[in-house]
Amino acid sequence: MEKIKISKGFTTPLAGMPDIGIIELSDPRTLGLSAMDVPHIRAKLMVKEGDRVQTGAPLFYDKRDKSVQYVSPGTGVIQKIVYGERRRLHEVVISLEGAEDFVEFDPISLSALGEVSRQVLVERLKQGGMWQALRQFPAMDTADASHTPSMIIVSLSGNDPFSPDPGVVFEREQTALHFGLEVLKRLSDRIVVTVREGSLERLGKVKSSVTHTVPDIYPAWNPGAVLYHLKKDSAENSSWCIAADHLVMMARFLMTGRYPTQKIITVTRGREHRPHILTRQGAPVKALIGDFIDRSLITTGRFNGRIVEPDDHLGFFENTLNLIDTPDGEELLGFIRPGKAKATVSKTFLSCLFPEPKEVDCTRHGEVRACINCSYCEKICPNDLMPNFIMKALLSDEIENALECGLLDCCQCGLCSYACPSKIELAQILRHGMDALYKDKQ
Amino acid sequence: MNPIKKIFDLTEPHFTGSGRFARIEPLFDAAKTVFFFPSPVNRVMPFIRDNLDLKRYMTFVLVALVPVILFGIYNTGLQSGIARGQQLDVVAAILLGVRYVLPIIVVSYVVGFFWEILFAVVRKHKISEGFFVTGMLFPLTLPATIPLWQVALGISFGVVMGKEVFGGTGRNILNPALTARAFIFFSYPVSMSGNVWIAGTNGVDAVSSATALATTGVDGGTITQALSQAGFSLTNLFWGFVPGSIGETSALCCLLGGAFLVITRIGNFRIIAGGIIGLVATSLAFYLVPGNASTWGHAGPLYHLCAGGFLFGICFMATDPVSAPGTNPGRWMFGFLIGFLTVVIRVVNPAFVEGTMLAILFMNVFSALLDHGVVKYKSSKRIPNV
Ligand code: SF4
Ligand code: SF4
Repeated sequence: MEKIKISKGFTTPLAGMPDIGIIELSDPRTLGLSAMDVPHIRAKLMVKEGDRVQTGAPLFYDKRDKSVQYVSPGTGVIQKIVYGERRRLHEVVISLEGAEDFVEFDPISLSALGEVSRQVLVERLKQGGMWQALRQFPAMDTADASHTPSMIIVSLSGNDPFSPDPGVVFEREQTALHFGLEVLKRLSDRIVVTVREGSLERLGKVKSSVTHTVPDIYPAWNPGAVLYHLKKDSAENSSWCIAADHLVMMARFLMTGRYPTQKIITVTRGREHRPHILTRQGAPVKALIGDFIDRSLITTGRFNGRIVEPDDHLGFFENTLNLIDTPDGEELLGFIRPGKAKATVSKTFLSCLFPEPKEVDCTRHGEVRACINCSYCEKICPNDLMPNFIMKALLSDEIENALECGLLDCCQCGLCSYACPSKIELAQILRHGMDALYKDKQ
Repeated sequence: MNPIKKIFDLTEPHFTGSGRFARIEPLFDAAKTVFFFPSPVNRVMPFIRDNLDLKRYMTFVLVALVPVILFGIYNTGLQSGIARGQQLDVVAAILLGVRYVLPIIVVSYVVGFFWEILFAVVRKHKISEGFFVTGMLFPLTLPATIPLWQVALGISFGVVMGKEVFGGTGRNILNPALTARAFIFFSYPVSMSGNVWIAGTNGVDAVSSATALATTGVDGGTITQALSQAGFSLTNLFWGFVPGSIGETSALCCLLGGAFLVITRIGNFRIIAGGIIGLVATSLAFYLVPGNASTWGHAGPLYHLCAGGFLFGICFMATDPVSAPGTNPGRWMFGFLIGFLTVVIRVVNPAFVEGTMLAILFMNVFSALLDHGVVKYKSSKRIPNV
């Protein structure tokens, strides 16, 4: 087991660490398949409202590669198809009815895995709605099956500081994880399995599969940050990554021939310590969060994720929900208060002297200003980027310059925007730059 | 509801939309945001944001300046008293100092804000908090005897030509406060040299030499002897009980402010450390060259450090993040070269005894170049990802 040293990132302790207990929710009445958490997808629907679907039946595919299918997480009737802005598909809602009925595939045993060809394996995963779990750098698009990546990074920790604890999630999944890693070995010669140091001791037997540990600094466990610190030449830039819970799903799917429907998630809020929740893939947000105040924001990650409404359903890639409260009102003379409890990476609040976990809210704490060159963004960027220079290059359309400065190494952790005292949306500007470039290339 | 909040809520309609005073909305907005922090909900990732913002950032510079301002006021009164042959106690000295210094600060703020507001209104921008700092730094670099109309002219030049023509805070190349001071220095040299450093001495021939930097050794004596004879002992220079610009005489107060900026990470320590290293190294080099012992070349590092506006400049002016480089190696070089140039100008060019101002302005111009070099170098070290 090697240690990856990453020293920059978000180190302020936050209040609301989930409990490592686990509760199981009974089946909800609806499930959803969201298209909003899948980057770059151009979804094409295959069903209409009122259709009956089995668990594992395709609901939409990606127009750019028809074989990549997105499948139903449950059995029932298509209740609603929700479109978002510009008629972009938002989600497909299924109301669960009757007994669970699966689309069945032939199971593959571990010993038989060696005899299945790579092509058959890939086809099976695509049909089963599991292939898209594999993402390809740098744009994080669905992995290109015709390409053999120089490495595949498996992350046991999620995208948030409070993503589900790997010890809790993988306790009973050692066989599946092992199977999944064997599958990955068919796709690439180098498999990197990472976990944060703090989660190591609860890992149990799964520990033996881990190849690299990363420090407990957000976002050290983000595959993008791991890749940046591991890569030695530019061939590795187009490596792949997958979250370990998806790998386990993939393995379960191949082993049983049925779409795996379960998932462990965390819901965090303020100072509460809620247990992990065992629920279904695509569960409704409302059923997961419990009571909440209108004013608060529900997101699928504090730094990196999307805003969801209570009526939405959890996406395929998402396994955490945060309820972030809004403060009661504006603060009188807020800019000069000592701030004993305020979260900050700067040294301008008294709170930097107190190590206890800080509560955070979802407001901006200031007005947008021009960049003042303070380098707070650079100081916190895990991938040694200078987001301020890249931002300026992008805003003046100097794409070449931005690329030279490492635009595509940005792992979208959001920390630069978090830290910027001028409240510039650095991560978003970088994201748009990357997306525009990616679109151009396609 | 909070009564202050009530006032703003009641008056808001007059200043927005089709209200009677809608044209000066930026002014209203600035006043309101001073009392109440605007804090909209984040709609794009990351959904949580740091509590530090630019208002607090700039306010901290003002906090760092407090010792400098207070001591500057006291010293102005004190020096004026000495020149009149009076021994003033602390209270009397402060009262006298306030009489000279306060009008300068007020004029600087009022005139500066006029321009800020004008540009904000015309451009429909927000009023930037950067001016709080500029408006205070500029008066502190002036002698207490400066005519107020020159203060007004100087700050106008600093704000308009030093900042607004480039597009406002964050886009300026030069430090606006120094631009203002340089303007006065070159346009009205009489106000900035000779016997102008002590307020209320017009006509009184109290001191033979204006500031420490204008002192040279006489009759073959060394510079250090000459300095202590003129009252510029190292101790006096360190504490600041000497004539000079309002804010820059006390090395101690500048160091206190600098330390505060470094601890709170508002000022970058690399610039300050680089500057002090540059100054010490260069002055040592001059010191070791045998030659005329009566010039500043032989004053040694400590005198160079404590005399004149070096510490004030390096702690408060050079650390202005906008006009300084934005890369760490760039900051080291920037600081070092300011220290180096300060000594060189002081020693080699007696026409401009105060080298710090010129050194900082000069390096401001080059900070983009330093950054460019660093960014190119760093990029060349990256594994290409295209
Ligand atoms: S540039 Fe910003 S979003 Fe990208 S890796 Fe650095 S800190 Fe994270
Ligand atoms: S943190 Fe914001 S203001 Fe500071 S350098 Fe980065 S982009 Fe500029």
